Amino acid sequence: MNIKSLVFSSITLSLSSSCLALQALDDESLSVVQGQAGLTVEQSRLLNIDELTYSDDGNGLTVEGLRFSSQTSVDEVAHRTYVLDVSQDGALRVQTEIKPTQMHIDAIRINNSAGSFGDFTLNYEAVSNFSMKGMTNGGFEGDFEIGISNAQLIWETNGHALTFENIGYNASVDNYTFEYDVIDNTKSFTRTGLDLGMDNFDFSFSTGAVTLGGVSLGELSGDLALSANLQIFGGGRYGDEGLTLHSQVDILSNPDNYVRFTDYDASGQGNSLSMEDFSGEINLTNLTLDVESDHLAIGFDQLEGSFEAGTILIGDSTKSIGSIELDFLLNDDAINDRYNRFQLYPGITQPVFDDMPDEIKSYAESFYQDLDANSEGISIAAQWNLANADLSYIDDGRRVIFSGIKSFGSADTTIDVRDKTLAIGISNLKGSYSIDGLKVGDSDAPLQGGAELLLSLEVYQAMDFDLDGYTEITAGGADGGGIRIDGDYYFSNTNIGLSVDENGQGIWATDVKYDIHLRDITFDVEADGLKINRGEQWSTMDIANLRWGEKDSGRSLGRVKLERFEQGSSLAIMPGGAGQVCVGASAADEASCGSSGGRWEDRGEQGMTIALKAAFANAGSTTDGTATARNRLTWENNRVETSAGSGEYISDSGTQIIFDNYSTNDGRGTSDTNDYGFQANLSIDVYETKVLKKTDEDDVNGVSGDFGDELIYDNIGTVDDPIRGNSYSYVASPTEEQEALRPLGFAVKGNISFKELNIDAVQLKHPDIATPQTVFYGVVMQNLNLTTNLTATPIQ
Amino acid sequence: MIKIIIITLFALYLPQTKALEPLGEEELQQVLGQGGVYLSGDITINETGGPLNDMSDTTNPGIWQVDCSVGSTNQRCGARLAVNAGDDSNSGWLVLDNIRGRFSFEGLTLKTRTIDSGFDDGGNGDSDGAVFDGDVLEIGLPNTLNYSDVSFTLANSNSARPTDAGFQQTDILNVNIDGDISLRGNLLLFPTGNP
Repeated sequence: MNIKSLVFSSITLSLSSSCLALQALDDESLSVVQGQAGLTVEQSRLLNIDELTYSDDGNGLTVEGLRFSSQTSVDEVAHRTYVLDVSQDGALRVQTEIKPTQMHIDAIRINNSAGSFGDFTLNYEAVSNFSMKGMTNGGFEGDFEIGISNAQLIWETNGHALTFENIGYNASVDNYTFEYDVIDNTKSFTRTGLDLGMDNFDFSFSTGAVTLGGVSLGELSGDLALSANLQIFGGGRYGDEGLTLHSQVDILSNPDNYVRFTDYDASGQGNSLSMEDFSGEINLTNLTLDVESDHLAIGFDQLEGSFEAGTILIGDSTKSIGSIELDFLLNDDAINDRYNRFQLYPGITQPVFDDMPDEIKSYAESFYQDLDANSEGISIAAQWNLANADLSYIDDGRRVIFSGIKSFGSADTTIDVRDKTLAIGISNLKGSYSIDGLKVGDSDAPLQGGAELLLSLEVYQAMDFDLDGYTEITAGGADGGGIRIDGDYYFSNTNIGLSVDENGQGIWATDVKYDIHLRDITFDVEADGLKINRGEQWSTMDIANLRWGEKDSGRSLGRVKLERFEQGSSLAIMPGGAGQVCVGASAADEASCGSSGGRWEDRGEQGMTIALKAAFANAGSTTDGTATARNRLTWENNRVETSAGSGEYISDSGTQIIFDNYSTNDGRGTSDTNDYGFQANLSIDVYETKVLKKTDEDDVNGVSGDFGDELIYDNIGTVDDPIRGNSYSYVASPTEEQEALRPLGFAVKGNISFKELNIDAVQLKHPDIATPQTVFYGVVMQNLNLTTNLTATPIQ
Repeated sequence: MIKIIIITLFALYLPQTKALEPLGEEELQQVLGQGGVYLSGDITINETGGPLNDMSDTTNPGIWQVDCSVGSTNQRCGARLAVNAGDDSNSGWLVLDNIRGRFSFEGLTLKTRTIDSGFDDGGNGDSDGAVFDGDVLEIGLPNTLNYSDVSFTLANSNSARPTDAGFQQTDILNVNIDGDISLRGNLLLFPTGNP
């Protein structure tokens, strides 16, 4: 089907229904028409279409049971009114009012597939107003407004629904153009297509609630304005038919732009995650859509763009954590066989369980046990290639860039709705990501180390991995709305870069197997931030080799195995950093801090604070009784090689030191409660940091200076508005102006505390004995309250 | 963060016994595109007591219940580490008790780098660096480490916790440190031997 046919079919479908129920005006009605212009069409519509098929190269995407009816009964008509008028400039203006209407689809299948994408219901009412008039060189143009209200979208699979309640949508386009004259030469032939332009496409949306089983996940809302151009061509990526689309989108800069997720607690108080003050641009090349024999194929050659959110709010609407900027490029990489492609299969395509690692196989079988070939849902085979991205975090005007973010991989995913649950299964994911390093100040700054700082958030600098993971999302957090997650995940063939450079050298955890189980993990937005309660989790990270240098051939420290078992842990992310602090002394103000030998730092209003509580549980059974778990750290070396010179070693064949069954409690031993746990509170800001020269010799860049001199960047701005250049010098005693040109880094005000951290035993195990021998019969650490004021500066 | 603090604490106690020399420019020139982190600041332990002294949380108050405002010298205000190195319940506990104080420093660096030259042996064959030819984790020691009212008590005890029934403890010595220590050079950490 070519693009013209598709458009005309759509128009015909729309208009044909209006012909079904025209009613003659009676004399009484006609008698009140006095000097009015235009035409009013009142339509009553009850439309049932058994099958509507989009055919592409002989493959059919079929919409079954398409119905337009009233919302009260599937057998009753829905009403709408059109008012058509011709204005003085020759434009046709159409005003439409749509009374409450229901659109329903029984199923969507490809080539009569057994499984379908599920059924869809849209309840809505709307008013619209658009105009169109001819353009000098062909095509037409006009303006457009639409308001959709009291809408409800329901996606249902296997009898269970995910519902978007109370949707509101308002949009307007100042001027649109519609022409059939654009040329495309991206394939081996030339083709002409539709050119659609939109100037100031301003839209807002809101959903009263996203619900699962009648319980709210939260509300979504937003307001954006953009200008866009779209070019649409007949012919997709495969065969002769299909669709191709290019687009160029500018997100118009406007402080009123926002996207917001609001979570209501049990008392009805709403708290929001919000991104505001957007701007940016997105360019998409060769987005294609094809119907294949058993799937819908979507892919694009390139997606590049930039995006800026000037304000990020978490809970507290008065305190921003700062702003972010993102530049990204997703494109095809034929040399390395990496693409951005998505294949959507109707129904649930289950993984081949016998091909899965034993550690996750039983969890996968359990996850899919109630589904079969006829089940409804969506299965996605995806590939992605993020060629490069730079993410900037700006805190009180100070910028740090996570530079050179790259990722590629492939995965099979299934999504379906179950009883009060959204189920997402990921199988056979083979992925990789890396971060080159940090830049501070601006994007022209040299690449530096320091991405290791992300380790505090358990984000690794580089990782390649296989993953099978099965997640169930239910609605309702710890308090009112929110999100609750249960999941089982298994990473295999995994390498983790703990501290690596852009050439991939550094410290690597290689051949890692990581088995993670999460239960009752809740996400809630509260008045003071984002709260994640980790009800229960147990995991085993088995690192075959902790290597220095190359990922594959670096010297190995041996095997490290970390087993974890936590109950009642939590993580909170709150806006606002450390504020004013005295480093090196205890003082409440700048004067007394200086007189006490400290350094006073005002780290500003923005930034973020992370509060972590890890409640390490005593060894025992998990709540669901499916496993026994404990906290244990094992370091093993002097292992037996699998074969001489292979560089691969047999686990449990060497000597081990074991820190067994470590746990936290409230001070009276393992029989006591464990409410306090191990707490770490980190207030993080981007701030000027003091970096001193450590030798009298020239540094790695040949810059001279004496031992103890301070590194100060050259000023390429003004005295009143200093801007760091890329060159620097060492200064013995910097002036106040020079102190503003210190390097930027992360300032971390931290506090670590626990009431009791107990280790049952420290043991040694020789490979020739079955039972480890105990070195220490107990280690008890109590009453620690450790505070830090650290600045961490990336260095070359 | 935790790893950084652990490594930092590790560095506080070890460097005095090592004798690694500062790197010369020849070695530094072998650094190829690698970076790291420069750390400055302070670490304070139990300045106003610990969570077992904190009575402000009424739902889960600290069980030691001692006033630990600034300047308090009560032994229960510090952190405590008890180790049973004997034979389980038949032996006593070695205790580091009442651990308190502040350490401040400028310029502790963490970075990874390759050593494939330097560390010459005086011209008699290959340099030690060329023979080594591997990567190391380099902990660059801070120029100055300041101790401010750092103190702890070394003791023996018959049980791990002061709240245990029949608790008895014999203090062996108290240590209090104030002043600056000059630390220069690097700690190089790297795997060796059979993994």
